[in-house]
Amino acid sequence: MATLQVDRITKKFKTDVVLDEVSFEAEEGETLVIFGPSGSGKTVLLRVIAGVYEPEEGKVVLQGHDMTDVAPEHRDVGMAFQNFALFPHFSARENIASPLTALGKSDSQIEEQVLSIAKLLKIEHVLEHFPRALSNGQKQRTALARALVAAPKTVLLDDPLRNVDAKLRFEMRLELPRLLRRFGSTVLYVTQDYREAMALADRIAVLVGGKIAQFDTPESIYLRPSSIEVAKLFGEPAINILRGQVNDEANRVSVNQNQFILPKGFHNNAGSICDIGIRPESIRLFREKRAGTISLEVITITPLNERSVVLLRSQEGLELLATYPAEEKTAKIGDPFWGMVVPEDLLLFEIESGQRCLPKQN
Amino acid sequence: MSSTSSALVAPKSGRLRKKILPYLLSLPALLVCIGILIPFFTAVYYSMMRFRLNLPYLKGFIWFDNYINFLSDPAFWNTVQISLTYAFLTVGLELLLGLGIAVLLQQPSKFNNIVSVLLLLPLMTAPALASLMWKLMTNPNFGILSYLVSMLGFSDFRWASDPSTALLTVVLVDIWVYTPFIMILLLAGLRSLPKQPFEAAALDGVPQSFIFFRITLPMLMPYLLTATLFRLLESIQQFDIIYSMTQGGPGDELMVFQVQAYLEFFQYTNVGRSTALLMVLWAITFALSNVFIKHWLRLRERTHGNG
Amino acid sequence: MNQLSKSQRVFRGTLLGLVILFFMFPIFWIFLMSFQTNEQILRIPPSIFFEPTLINYQALITGRLETQAGNLDIAFMENLWNSVFLSSSAVLLSLVLGVPAAYAFARYRFRLGEDIAFTILSFRFAPPLLVLLPLTLYFEDIGLSNTYTGLIWVYQLISLPLILWIVRGYFEDISPDIESAYRLAGHSWLKTFMKISIPLARPGIAAAGLLSFIFAWNNFVFALVLASADKQPVTVGALAFVTASGIQYGQIAAGIVLSVTPTLLLALYAQRYLVEGLSLGAVKG
Repeated sequence: MATLQVDRITKKFKTDVVLDEVSFEAEEGETLVIFGPSGSGKTVLLRVIAGVYEPEEGKVVLQGHDMTDVAPEHRDVGMAFQNFALFPHFSARENIASPLTALGKSDSQIEEQVLSIAKLLKIEHVLEHFPRALSNGQKQRTALARALVAAPKTVLLDDPLRNVDAKLRFEMRLELPRLLRRFGSTVLYVTQDYREAMALADRIAVLVGGKIAQFDTPESIYLRPSSIEVAKLFGEPAINILRGQVNDEANRVSVNQNQFILPKGFHNNAGSICDIGIRPESIRLFREKRAGTISLEVITITPLNERSVVLLRSQEGLELLATYPAEEKTAKIGDPFWGMVVPEDLLLFEIESGQRCLPKQN
Repeated sequence: MSSTSSALVAPKSGRLRKKILPYLLSLPALLVCIGILIPFFTAVYYSMMRFRLNLPYLKGFIWFDNYINFLSDPAFWNTVQISLTYAFLTVGLELLLGLGIAVLLQQPSKFNNIVSVLLLLPLMTAPALASLMWKLMTNPNFGILSYLVSMLGFSDFRWASDPSTALLTVVLVDIWVYTPFIMILLLAGLRSLPKQPFEAAALDGVPQSFIFFRITLPMLMPYLLTATLFRLLESIQQFDIIYSMTQGGPGDELMVFQVQAYLEFFQYTNVGRSTALLMVLWAITFALSNVFIKHWLRLRERTHGNG
Repeated sequence: MNQLSKSQRVFRGTLLGLVILFFMFPIFWIFLMSFQTNEQILRIPPSIFFEPTLINYQALITGRLETQAGNLDIAFMENLWNSVFLSSSAVLLSLVLGVPAAYAFARYRFRLGEDIAFTILSFRFAPPLLVLLPLTLYFEDIGLSNTYTGLIWVYQLISLPLILWIVRGYFEDISPDIESAYRLAGHSWLKTFMKISIPLARPGIAAAGLLSFIFAWNNFVFALVLASADKQPVTVGALAFVTASGIQYGQIAAGIVLSVTPTLLLALYAQRYLVEGLSLGAVKG
């Protein structure tokens, strides 16, 4: 049975519907990422689960108990805030000890536990300092320590790496999963960074405009996004979206007189106009013409870490972003290439709803 | 552990408690509110009655007769004139003086800070006691000020006992007590002004007077307005200073609103007239304070804004 | 930044000197007078050099004045005690009632709260007698005339709005996340209020309390209307003192000194809080 269940949560601020029938669940020990663009309601959702906000409708179920009317201090939840929210008049030690004092532990127990988690997060040398004397990285670790020290069943992390410098963010992205697995809590992690989401999540709940757009493993979301919106949120460089028409036989889709081969199963969309999505990395580029390829010319090249992003244009005016590894023969602007897309990598989306068209097997 | 057990035990009570909490917390404030409103409405009621404590059998409802009678009552107009004169004189002079001192103390130096603290003291003195202090100093027999003034050639300067100089005397006390308030406000304003316009003007060689009148003053406007409104509201209903000094005399020279109302009530036991007079004063202060509150709320939006 | 020439500095210094003279002189002079006998006071020309004496303070403190005309009982110490008792009690009560209310206004948006705040705000500038005169008549009926209870209750009209006004701003400045974090750490709402909200708002509470005490102490008209001789604070008592016959001028001066010294000392001690509270009360709120 799921450890954490969010059941049709609706939250309004005056007339503004911030969360609209949001539902998902998490298993014990799972790290579930809530991902979405800013303003999508992620922070509000976290606070509803924490008990800081009350939903207009819906239920929050933790460890099998309906917690919707339960005060935050009784939910066995640990939370780390984006802005750290450390108690400015308490030392780092007292901040971290705070959940333990609420449990009525003895002084020696508290000291032991605070020290051990401080060592784990490498902040044992600043325990006596007050928040104003700590760096952002130290504040974030203190906030994390405070959230985790009492080993709560549910851990809520509200974009904890947002206010931390890039280098530390990258380090923490590696350390966090290890740390969280140690405690075995169920983790809800909020972020706007898709890379963070994909790196940390067992499953991702994509929140857009207050609604769950997709709830699935990172791999599924990336390869089989439920809608154009979700597809655009993941991947860098962004996915190519082109408007095209499916032919009557439903085996080709044409964009500006260029044609791509469609996989089987799209009879329902025969003859209709759709949006097609092509991830840059699914474009295969060849120096010579092969069957099913389109003639393209290089317009710009941008290096990106270990790859290069290249913008290509066909004679008919079709523009595509593609990537290729840098060690390959370096291309120059104006070079001719032949490109194709493996049919199974092609994504088809309905125009009206933006939902992905699912191929039917029959 | 406690969490799961209390989760089972805490049902809808959580939500209810959260709803009544703000009402519970603000209950005392509500009581004070009621404590203000009941006498207020009683006063409104009394102001529309013929009601003298020493002639209780004549008590009766007369609607707005009290107010209409004011219009033809020279004592009423005297009160209005004196109150307005007092208010504008004190506020005007205090503004000028307060601004001048604030400008003098503008630079945050140790000396300037000590001086501003010292200048706080008159403001912290009870106005009634300040009045007594000045009463002692202007005593014709031993008052130091009487002595100094006689040195200047005014041999029989009677200060508050003389109708021609009574107003001057109480205005002087008011200035002594309240100028520091304006000074503090304007000093805070001056010190919070951005430096760039002044640096730019200095670089351009703009003369000091231009800087002051065309740059400083306009930027200080919110503080000036706040100070003016605040003090006007207090000055027009001044009681302590005037009552302590002369109880409204000599004659009716200093019969400002609240002093007049007080005497109407306690000396002539005319509840109807005194409450009516206070209602007139209230109407004036209400109108003024609405202006002030609107302006102050706008200022507050700017500083607190979207948090 | 502003380089003043020597003559400008001298000019500025002179002006400041005059200003300081004007504002400090009365306090200084009355202070001197309190150490003088009637003969020294009546001497012309008056001088700042004289032999100081403590008999004025003695007379006030012991409550007895021995003159050639006979002995007189002075109840001034009673007035002083009334001031201390009334002001402290009023402020304490206001803090206990007002701080939670200020919190409610800061954190919750509720209709009643807006109405209460508006009423208290708009009556901040209303003439006190408008409320006091009907209140006198009511108090007689309820039996609260000339009682400490009645006075402390009425003093709330002075101190409570000030505390609500100032402390609300301080509570609003505390990030709600900090309070949420403490709740989520396992503490109840009450514990959060006591351990987090109040300590973080302490400067504001101190400023408001201090200002309220000074305003309550300096109040005149409330006590004038609602208190009789035995309950009057020094502000009213001093006036009665002055108009009573047979009192020596030096004693009046000593009485005034004793009456203003507490607030002046408080003001000096806590001037930082005061200035903050005053400008907040006027500008920030």
